[in-house]
Amino acid sequence: MLQCIFLLSDSGEVMLEKQLTGHRVDRSICDWFWDHAISQGDAFKSQPVIASPTHYLFQVVREGITFLACTQVEMPPLMGIEFLCRVADVLSDYLGGLNEDVIKDNFVIVYELLDEMIDNGFPLTTEPNILREMIAPPNIVSKVLSVVTGNSSNVSDTLPGATGSCVPWRAADPKYANNEVYVDLVEEMDAVINRDGVLVKCEIYGEVQVNSHLSGLPDLTLSFANPSILDDVRFHPCVRFRPWESHQILSFVPPDGEFKLMSYRVKKLKSTPIYVKPQLTSDAGKCRVNVLVGIRNDPGKTIDSITVQFQLPPCILSADLTSNHGTVNILSNKICSWSINRIPKDKAPSLSGTLVLESELDRLHVFPTFRVGFRIMGVALSGLQIDKLDLRTVPNRLYKGFRALTRAGEFEVRS
Amino acid sequence: MFPQFGATAETLSKASTMVFRIGTDAHLYDDPDDVSIAPLLDSKFDSEKCEALKRLLAQIAQGFDVSNFFPQVVKNVASQSLEVKKLVYLYLLHYAEKRPNEALLSINCFQKDLGDPNPLVRAWALRTMAGIRLHVIAPLVLVAVGKCARDPSVYVRKCAANALPKLHDLRQEEHTSAVEEIVGILLNDHSPGVVGAAAAAFASVCPYNLSLIGRNYRKLCEILPDVEEWGQIVLIGILLRYVIARHGLVKESIMLSLHCTESSHSEKDGSDVDFRLLKVPIDMSGTCDSEFVNMVSKCYIESPDEYLSRSSYTNRVSFELNGTHFTSKTNDDVKILLYCTSPLLWSNNSAVVLSAAGVHWVMAPKEDIKRIVKPLLFILRSSNASKYVVLCNIQVFAKAMPSLFAPYYEDLFICSSDSYQIKGLKLEILSSIATDSSISSIFKEFQDYIRDPDRRFAADTIAAIGLCAQRLPNMAYSCVDGLLALTKEDFLTKDFGSGDQEAGVLIQAIMSIKSIIKQDPPSHEKVIIQLVSSLDSIKVPAARAMIIWMVGEYSSLGEIIPRMLTTVLKYLAWCFTSEALETKLQILNTASKVLLCATGEDLWTFKKVFSYLVELAECDLNYDVRDRARLLKKLPSCNLGSQGPEEGTNGLNEKNVLHVVAKCIFGRQTREVKAESNNYRFYLPGSLSQIVLHAAPGYEPLPKPCSLPLDDLNVPEGTHAVEKGPDYSGTDDHGTSSGPLDEESASDYDSQHSITGSSGSGRSDDNEFTSEENDNADPLIQISDVGNASENQNGVSQSSPANLGELMSNRALESWLEEQPGSSNPGISEQSQVCKSSARISIRDVGRQVKPKSYSLLDPANGNGLKVDYSFSSEISSISPLLVCIEVFFKNCSSETIMEITLVDEESTRALDSADQAAAVNESSMKSYDNVPTLVPMEEIPSLEPGQTTRRLLQVRFHHHLLPLKLALFCNGKKLPIKLRPDIGYFVKPLPMDVEAFTDEESHLPGMFEYTRSCTFTDHIGELNKESGDGLLIKDKFLAICESLALKMLSNANLCLVSVDMPIAANLDDASGLRLRFSCEILSSLIPCLITITVQGKCCDPLNLFIKVNCEETVFGLNLMNRIVNFLVEPALF
Repeated sequence: MLQCIFLLSDSGEVMLEKQLTGHRVDRSICDWFWDHAISQGDAFKSQPVIASPTHYLFQVVREGITFLACTQVEMPPLMGIEFLCRVADVLSDYLGGLNEDVIKDNFVIVYELLDEMIDNGFPLTTEPNILREMIAPPNIVSKVLSVVTGNSSNVSDTLPGATGSCVPWRAADPKYANNEVYVDLVEEMDAVINRDGVLVKCEIYGEVQVNSHLSGLPDLTLSFANPSILDDVRFHPCVRFRPWESHQILSFVPPDGEFKLMSYRVKKLKSTPIYVKPQLTSDAGKCRVNVLVGIRNDPGKTIDSITVQFQLPPCILSADLTSNHGTVNILSNKICSWSINRIPKDKAPSLSGTLVLESELDRLHVFPTFRVGFRIMGVALSGLQIDKLDLRTVPNRLYKGFRALTRAGEFEVRS
Repeated sequence: MFPQFGATAETLSKASTMVFRIGTDAHLYDDPDDVSIAPLLDSKFDSEKCEALKRLLAQIAQGFDVSNFFPQVVKNVASQSLEVKKLVYLYLLHYAEKRPNEALLSINCFQKDLGDPNPLVRAWALRTMAGIRLHVIAPLVLVAVGKCARDPSVYVRKCAANALPKLHDLRQEEHTSAVEEIVGILLNDHSPGVVGAAAAAFASVCPYNLSLIGRNYRKLCEILPDVEEWGQIVLIGILLRYVIARHGLVKESIMLSLHCTESSHSEKDGSDVDFRLLKVPIDMSGTCDSEFVNMVSKCYIESPDEYLSRSSYTNRVSFELNGTHFTSKTNDDVKILLYCTSPLLWSNNSAVVLSAAGVHWVMAPKEDIKRIVKPLLFILRSSNASKYVVLCNIQVFAKAMPSLFAPYYEDLFICSSDSYQIKGLKLEILSSIATDSSISSIFKEFQDYIRDPDRRFAADTIAAIGLCAQRLPNMAYSCVDGLLALTKEDFLTKDFGSGDQEAGVLIQAIMSIKSIIKQDPPSHEKVIIQLVSSLDSIKVPAARAMIIWMVGEYSSLGEIIPRMLTTVLKYLAWCFTSEALETKLQILNTASKVLLCATGEDLWTFKKVFSYLVELAECDLNYDVRDRARLLKKLPSCNLGSQGPEEGTNGLNEKNVLHVVAKCIFGRQTREVKAESNNYRFYLPGSLSQIVLHAAPGYEPLPKPCSLPLDDLNVPEGTHAVEKGPDYSGTDDHGTSSGPLDEESASDYDSQHSITGSSGSGRSDDNEFTSEENDNADPLIQISDVGNASENQNGVSQSSPANLGELMSNRALESWLEEQPGSSNPGISEQSQVCKSSARISIRDVGRQVKPKSYSLLDPANGNGLKVDYSFSSEISSISPLLVCIEVFFKNCSSETIMEITLVDEESTRALDSADQAAAVNESSMKSYDNVPTLVPMEEIPSLEPGQTTRRLLQVRFHHHLLPLKLALFCNGKKLPIKLRPDIGYFVKPLPMDVEAFTDEESHLPGMFEYTRSCTFTDHIGELNKESGDGLLIKDKFLAICESLALKMLSNANLCLVSVDMPIAANLDDASGLRLRFSCEILSSLIPCLITITVQGKCCDPLNLFIKVNCEETVFGLNLMNRIVNFLVEPALF
C-alpha cells in the first residue's frame, strides 16, 4: 500500500508531504527523483512507475504539479496511479485549477483532503460529492468571512449520511425547489490521416455527463435510440450492470451535482467533418509548406475553434509562415500554431510559407504531424441518440435537458 | 529608462496576487514562524489554536522538524472544535512515533472520543489512535477496534477495518488471532463499503488464511459489484487466489491450453503430461504460442525461489500440472467468480478493469477470454500513466495469444502525443500481433513512423519491421526491399553533422536486414549483393561493419557472391586504413573467413590481400587491431602456405591443429538461437512486479492449485493447520520433483498455526521475525535462494567453509521458521531439514577467513635468534578433554642452525626425566582426568635451519583461565623460561546445533544462568569503508557487519556459529535487531554454553552490542563473557 505522497512543484520543490503509514519515507527520495528527472529529461518524467533504490514511485503529472506516491511492497500499480489521478481531479476541482501557488495557499485543505481520501495507504473516501460535504471547498464567502471574523472552519461537524447508505456516492436527501437533470453528450473525435491522405482510423470517444439536482433518492433510467453502435462502455459506479447487460438501459441513482455517467467508444467512422491537407515540398535547402483546411462533411452546425498545430522538425532553422485567415504563431519550442476559429464562407483558409533547413540538408526527410482541433456545438458526431430519460417517482416540477458537443480529440494529419 | 515604472508594475502585480491570496492560508505557508507559535497553542480561542496548528502543519509540509511542540499540541487533543481536533490529529500522526511518551498523554482523550455520539469523532479517534503505533497501547487499540467493528455506523466499521493493518504492523503475536477474528467479522459485514476495507485488511493481515474466505465465498462474490472500487481491486485478487487454492486451474482456460487434446485420456489415470512434446495448435479463437503460454502460467504459480531453483537445474522440470489440479468451467465457484467479475470490466476505474481482466485471463475458458480485450483497449484512452501500465500487461497477453488482439491492431496505432515508452510498447505489441491480413496496413503505418521527427522512434519502428518479417516469413521479401530502399535514401547515407540519430536509424535498418537474412540466407542472396554494393555510400562504421560481417558469413553462398569476393576484398583492403576500429576488426575477420573457405585460383589473391591486410593491421595505432592481426597471422597459416620456415612433420601437425581451430572460430556455426523470452519472468497481470520486471517485496504468486483441502473450511482455525502439512504431503508426495513444492505450500499454511500457537513458549524472538516476514512490510532485503543446504547443517565454524552468504527468500525463511520440530512423517521431516538449513541467513567464507590470533612466546632477541609464536587451535585434543590445543610456530631468525628444540613443562623437568614422564602420562591420561599433565610433551625438533619455520601442536592443560603457564624451552642445550598465556575462548569447543535446539536450550537457562553485557563494536566501519561505499546495497552492509562480527568471534574463540538473523527494519542504515548466535561447550565439563549477540545502532556508526551468555557454569560463563567483550572492543588490526 502507499506509504507517502509528495506534491512537487514544477521546479522540483517539495510543496507538501503526507506520510500515510508508520513506515516513514524520507524526503530525500524526492531529491533522487528530481535529480533523475533532470538528468534523463522527458523520458523519465513520462514514466509512471519508477523503481528507485529504496522505493517504488508512482508518478502523475498534472499541469506542472508532480504527484508522487511511494511504496515498498507489491500493490496494483494502477491503483496507485488511479488514486493519484483522483487526488489531482479532486484538488483541481476544489481549488479551481492546479498550480504551485494555489496549492501552497490552501495547503491546510489539501492536507485535510488527503487525510480523508486515504487511510493507512488505502483509499478511504474518494467520491467528490461526499468529500465536499466533509470538507468545504474554499470560496469567496468563506475567504471574506475568514478575513472579517478571523475564524474559518471548513471541516464539517457531521459525517455525511451517504457514507452509511447503500449509495455511497450520493449525499443524503438533498432538497431542491426546482428539480433539474441535464444530460450532455460530449464527444471527442480521434482520427489519423496518413501521409497518403487516407483516413486510417476514425473513432469517437464520448462521455455522458449528467448534472442532476433532484430531491430525495431519485431512480433514473436513460435509454438510447441506437445503443448498438456503441463499441465499448465504462460506467460510473452508480450504474446497475444487469439492466445494461440485458436491455442496454442505464439504470442508476445519480450522485448529486455533476458527474460522468458513462464513457463510450464508437469505432470505424467513415469521415471527418473537416479536412486538413498539408503539402510539404522541399528543394535546395528550402521547404515550401502549404496547408489547406476546409469542410468535408457539413455536420449542420457551425464548426468553431478550429486550430492546426504542428511541431517544426529539429532540422529547421527558421520558418516564415502566413495565412489568409486566422493567426499564425510560432512558439519558442518550435510549435507552430494556426488558429482559424470559423471557416469563412467566401474562401478556403490556407497557410503557406517557407522553412529554411539546416545548411547540410538539401531536402526534408522527416515530416511533422499536424494536430487539429475543432468544436461543434449541438451535434454528437457518433450519431448516438438519447431516447428518453425516465424518473421512477416524478417530482412535481422537473426539468430535463439534453445537449451535445463534439470536439477533436487525437485528431492527427501526417504530412 | 524609467526604473520607477518597472518598480510600480512589479509592486502592482504583487499587490494583485496578494488580493487573490487574501483569505487563504498563503501567509501561513510562506512565513510559518513569523509569530511565536507556543503562546498561540495555549490560547483559549480555537481560532488562534487553529492558526498555530496550521503554522506547524506548514512547517511539516516544508520538511522542517517541529516535534518540539509536541507536548503543547497534545494538550489540545481535548478541544471541542472539530477543526482543531483534525489539525491536532494530523500533527500527532506525523510525530507520534518520535515522541511516544508524550503521545501516551492523548490516549485518554481518544478513549473518551470513542464513546462520542458523533460517528465522525469516533472514526477519527480510532484512526488516529491506531495510527500512532505504540506497542504499549496496542491492547487498547485492539479493544477499540473490536468495539468499532460492531459500531452501528458504516463509516466507523470501515475505519475499524482500516485500523487492522496498522495493528498488525506492530507485530504483536499475541494479538494475531484476535485481529484475524475481527477480519472475519468484517468480511461478513452486510455493507459493501466495509467488506471492501476488510478485504484490504485481509490482504495485509492474513493473506494465507484462505479458509476465512471460503466461509463467505459466495456472499463475497455477490457483493463484489457493490463494493467500492478500491476494495474491488483487492477483493478480486483474493477471490482468485481462493478459487485456485481450492479448485485449481480451469481445464479450458488458456493456462492449461496445452492439455486440451491430451487431457481427455490423461485425466483418468492422472499421469503427468509431458508438455514439452505437445505443440497443439489451438482451435476456436485462433492460435496461441503454446510454449510461451506454458511458461507464463508456470511463472504465475511458482514463487521466485522456485523459479531460481528451476533455472539453476534447467533439466529438472519442477513444475508439472497433473490431472488432479484441474477443475472445469462448470464448477460453480469458478462460474460465479467469472459471472461477478465480468461487469467490472465496465468499471470506470482502470485498476478494477485490469484486475477483473486478470481473473478472466487466468480462469476463463479460452473462448471467453476475448471479452477482456475491448475494455483493456478502452483504458488506452485514459491517462498516460495508466496507459503505460495497461500496455505492459497487454504486451504479455498479446504475446501469449496474439489472436486475441490481432483484429484490434488499429487501436495500437501510435499518435504523436504518446510518450516514448508507450510508443515502444505499442510497436512491440503490433509486431507480435501482426497477421497476414493486417500486416499490409501495419506496414503502411510503419512507413509513416519512419518519417517521424523522433529518430529514436523511427529506429524502433525499423526494428519492429524486422520482427514482423521474422514472424511472417512471407513478408520477408517486401520488408527487406523496403529496408534496402531506406538504406539508399540520401539522408541516411549522407555524412552530416547531426547524423547521430540518423546513424542509429541506418544501423537499425542493417540490423533488421541481417536478422531477416539469417532466417533463410539462400533466398536473400541478392540483398547481400546490393548491400555490399552500397558499401561505398554507407559511412556509419557500425553499419559498414555489419555488412562486412555478412560478406564473410555468407561468402560461399550462392553463385554470385563467391565471384565478387576478390573485388570486395580488394576494395576493403584499399579502404582499410581509413576505417573505424570496429570496421577494421570486421574486415580482418572477413578476410580470414574468406581465406579459409577459398579454393582454386582465387586463393592466391586472397592470400595476398590477407597478408597485406595483416601487415597494415600490425602497424595500426589501436592495440586491438594489432592483437587481432597477430592472432590471425598465426591461425590460417596453413592456407597461407609458407609464411615462415616450417619444420618437418612437427610443423605440419601444428598446422592441422591450427586449421581446425581456425575453422572453429570462423567457420559458420549452426548455433541454435534460443528464444530470448526464456529469460523472461512473468508476474501476475496487474501487479507491480510485472511493470518493474522483478519480484517486488511482498509479491505472491498464485497459490498452488488445490492446496486448500476441502474439509479445511469446517475445521476451526488453529487446529487445521497442524494436520495439513503432513496430510498434504502424505497424499501428494508422489514425484521427486513435486515434493519440495508441496512442502512449500504446506508450510505456508502452517505459518498461521505456529504464530498463534507458540507465543509464550520462549521462542518469542523467532516469532518476532516470523511475523515480520509474513507481513512482508519490509522490502529492503531482496532475497534469493541457494541450494547449499547440507553444508550449513553441520557446524558452521571453521571446519565448514564456503557456505551460504545468501539471504534466503522470505518464503523459505518463513517455511523454515514454521516447520514443526516433531513431525512424524519421515519424508517431511527430511525435507524440512533441507528447508531449515537453507533458510538461514549466513555468511560465506567465514571459515576460510578465520585467522586465530597469534601471540608471541619467545622473542628472537631473547632466544638467540629463535622466534616462537603460538596461536590457539580449534582442534580438540584426543587425549583428554582438559587439554587445550595450541599451535606453536618455531622460526629460526638467526644465521646458524638451531639444534634440539623442545618445550617442556617447567615443573615436570624439575622432577622427572621428560621421556619417561611422557610415556607415563600418556597411559595415565587415558584412565582419569585427574592427573592430566599440564603439557603433553611435544616432539622434539632435531634441527632448524636458518629461516626455516616448523609447526608443532601442543596440548596444554591450563590451571586457570588467567594465570600463565610456565614452560621451559630447550634449544641448543640451553634452557629458556617462557610463559604461555591462556585464553578462555579456547577452553570450549564448538557445539553444532540448530536454532531450534539453541532456543530450546536457551529457554532452559534463564535467570541466574544468563548474563548480559554490552559493548561497542567498530570493526565493520573499516570494512564498510573499504567496500566502495555508496554503491553498496543495503544487504551488503548488513552482510559486512555480520561477517566482521562473526569473524571476530570465531577468530578469538572456539565457537560454532548457529545462526544469523537479519533485522527487518524499515530503515536503511539501521542494523538494530541483527542477531548472531553461537554455541559451544566447555571442554572439561561438556556443559553447553550459548552466546547471543544482538546489534543495535546505525550501520555506519559504532554499533552497540548486547552479549548474552547462557551457561550453567556461572563463573565460567561470566569469564567467557568478559573475554568476549574484551576482544570485541579491541580494534581490528588491518
